[in-house]
Amino acid sequence: MLKWTLQGLFLAPQQLLASIAAVAGAFVLVLFFEGVFSGESEKIVAMIERTEADVWVMQKGVGNMHMASSFVSDWKVGAVASVDGVKKVTPILYLNSVIEAGGRSWISFIVGMEAGDPRAGPWKSAGGAIVPEPGEAIVPDIFALDAGLSIGDSIWIAGRNFKVAGFSADTFSMANSITYVTLDDLADTISTIGAVSYLLVDAEPGVDPQALATKIMVQVEKVNALTREEFARRDFSIAVQMGLEIVWIMTLIGGALAVLLTGFIVYSHITGRERELAVMKALGVRDRAIYFSIMTQALFIGLMAFALAVLVLLIAMPTTEMLAPKISLGLSANALVRAGSMAIIASLLASIIPVRRVLSVDPVSAFQQ
Amino acid sequence: MLYLALKNFLYRPARLLLTLLAIAAILAEILVLEGFMAGSYQQLRQTVLQRGGDVMVSQTGISNFLAARSVLPQKTRAAVEAVEGVKTTHPLTVIMQIYEAKGRLGPIIIMVYDAYGGGNSGGPVNIIEGKPPTGSGEMVIDQALSKRYDLHPGDILTLSDYDFTVSGISANSAALFTPFAFITYDSLIDFYFESDIADDISAFPLLSFLSVETKDGADPLKVAQRISKEVPEADAMLPKSIADNDENMGRALMGPVLNLLLWLSYIIGALAIGMFMFAAVRSQQRNFGVLRALGFTSRDLIIGVIAEAVVITLLALPPAILLAVFLAALIEIYAPVYLVLAAEPAAIIRTGLIAILLAVTGALAPLQILRRLDPATAFQEA
Repeated sequence: MLKWTLQGLFLAPQQLLASIAAVAGAFVLVLFFEGVFSGESEKIVAMIERTEADVWVMQKGVGNMHMASSFVSDWKVGAVASVDGVKKVTPILYLNSVIEAGGRSWISFIVGMEAGDPRAGPWKSAGGAIVPEPGEAIVPDIFALDAGLSIGDSIWIAGRNFKVAGFSADTFSMANSITYVTLDDLADTISTIGAVSYLLVDAEPGVDPQALATKIMVQVEKVNALTREEFARRDFSIAVQMGLEIVWIMTLIGGALAVLLTGFIVYSHITGRERELAVMKALGVRDRAIYFSIMTQALFIGLMAFALAVLVLLIAMPTTEMLAPKISLGLSANALVRAGSMAIIASLLASIIPVRRVLSVDPVSAFQQ
Repeated sequence: MLYLALKNFLYRPARLLLTLLAIAAILAEILVLEGFMAGSYQQLRQTVLQRGGDVMVSQTGISNFLAARSVLPQKTRAAVEAVEGVKTTHPLTVIMQIYEAKGRLGPIIIMVYDAYGGGNSGGPVNIIEGKPPTGSGEMVIDQALSKRYDLHPGDILTLSDYDFTVSGISANSAALFTPFAFITYDSLIDFYFESDIADDISAFPLLSFLSVETKDGADPLKVAQRISKEVPEADAMLPKSIADNDENMGRALMGPVLNLLLWLSYIIGALAIGMFMFAAVRSQQRNFGVLRALGFTSRDLIIGVIAEAVVITLLALPPAILLAVFLAALIEIYAPVYLVLAAEPAAIIRTGLIAILLAVTGALAPLQILRRLDPATAFQEA
């Protein structure tokens, strides 16, 4: 029976290949969609993770950076610095805004950092200055490439002109590219006096960040303090959950496509070999064994397609980075499990499609001319 | 030739149905993606357009309504109202908050408006349940929030330790995958003062935009130009221009990914149609052999197969549109934060033309079989 199943599959290898490719396409669509959200989500927490502050302090009631705003009175910088176990406190102003450059607009997170202190600045330079001076901005390299910006060119943030002084690497994502200016410039641009957004806290060696965060919340009024890991986890969660529904919808649409395509392939194999089926039935092979064979075919196609889809995505990740650097792709274990499960379910559902055809095959037809 | 091919297809109705269904599903998926793109851009446009007014005033240099922080000094309202041609202004404030409940974190864009301003003063325009916010602490939420967190009129929604009471649910009030909520200025002041969020209220935005109603007969564009000239801390634009800017920002943000996904869908479509035509040609190999024996050339057979693929694909288009509309409705019921405009005429025409191209490409898959087809196959045993 297994031999018959495999023979059926490899009877037309080109057709099998096209079939696997088409079903794989449905899985690629799902994995790609989820990959974009996953890649963006990873980029969204890049600043939190790469600046490596032990604790982040923000306005009470705020627990995120992405899609959130926080204001902390600037006198609290000193208050946090005086907490036992704190080595250094670096304040930043943070604003979600639109940058205009080269006649186009981009969403960007603007970080206002203290002039001359690189602590909260870009973690990787791609040329030019590393920290901005007054009136200057450090922009992501991919953004600069897309906008055709060179050192000395102008960009506009909230109507204010800044000169591009340097390029940062690893700071671009479609929803979360990071532009650095000085804290005073940003405060002036958004008319904020005496307030900062977040405090990056470096702990003394050996100090437990969680214990330090708790201590800061007890000793400094009306602030929230989170460890780097917790802060990053919350922002990652926001980003993932923003795309949760659409990823599920795309998974279902992709799954339905996979069912139909796999069902068609198995159905074609069955209709093409009805006479053989009749002979098998005449020889006493049970319907159950034939169903099992159909299911095996469907599963083979589904799993091969899934493997091909993963391979395509693994190749697409570095290729996309090279050809379309604006798009960040990620591949999470969850996505693989979800798509893999979908492949199995789709295959099993697809194997139901030709059941009626199998049932309708009359063993007598084996002996007809 | 085409007649024969279609006759053969109709001879196997189950197979034809499955093929039509599969192609329809692929085209529907393309239409849903197109609709998702169009819907996302429309959400961005309608956000500012729904706020009403003939002119929108923002902080100098801010030319977007969403994703840009605009802060206007309080005195701006009086300065704008003094400009010739301005009838009245309605203040608007936009703030971002993160809502956490039931183990889920989600962003909300809160629109603060003057509920007593009369006319369309920027509040919710499509309340489907409950009533607009009137008293302090009342909030209208988008149906996406209502669905996601199971919130209904009368329920409590807590932000930064402040309890809002849901007074109503609105539809079509979301953009950038983020639902909106609407409160009055009384609520905003109470929220700032009573919630335990910060000790310096001056840090928070109190006025983001001014929606301007112009006097009868006044040209809104000229009024906008006068405001920009006479009020140095403000820029004034027509709502349509801001809507264009927001749409362009959305295109820059989402366009690369969604276009890539569309291209991917086209490739899947071409592969799938190729697979169907490959299977169809293989199953009709003997018939094609007969045709070759009767004097039809390989070219005739290839044209026949291409025509067959095009006809089947075109037949699949109407059910694809119906399926896409059905899927769009399902998406909007299940996740109303998304707007899917699956039946946009431009998208349907574009998808139809691309579908024909995919059919022609796909029909070339069995080219080699047709070229190498020996007329003798007509006389071989099945």
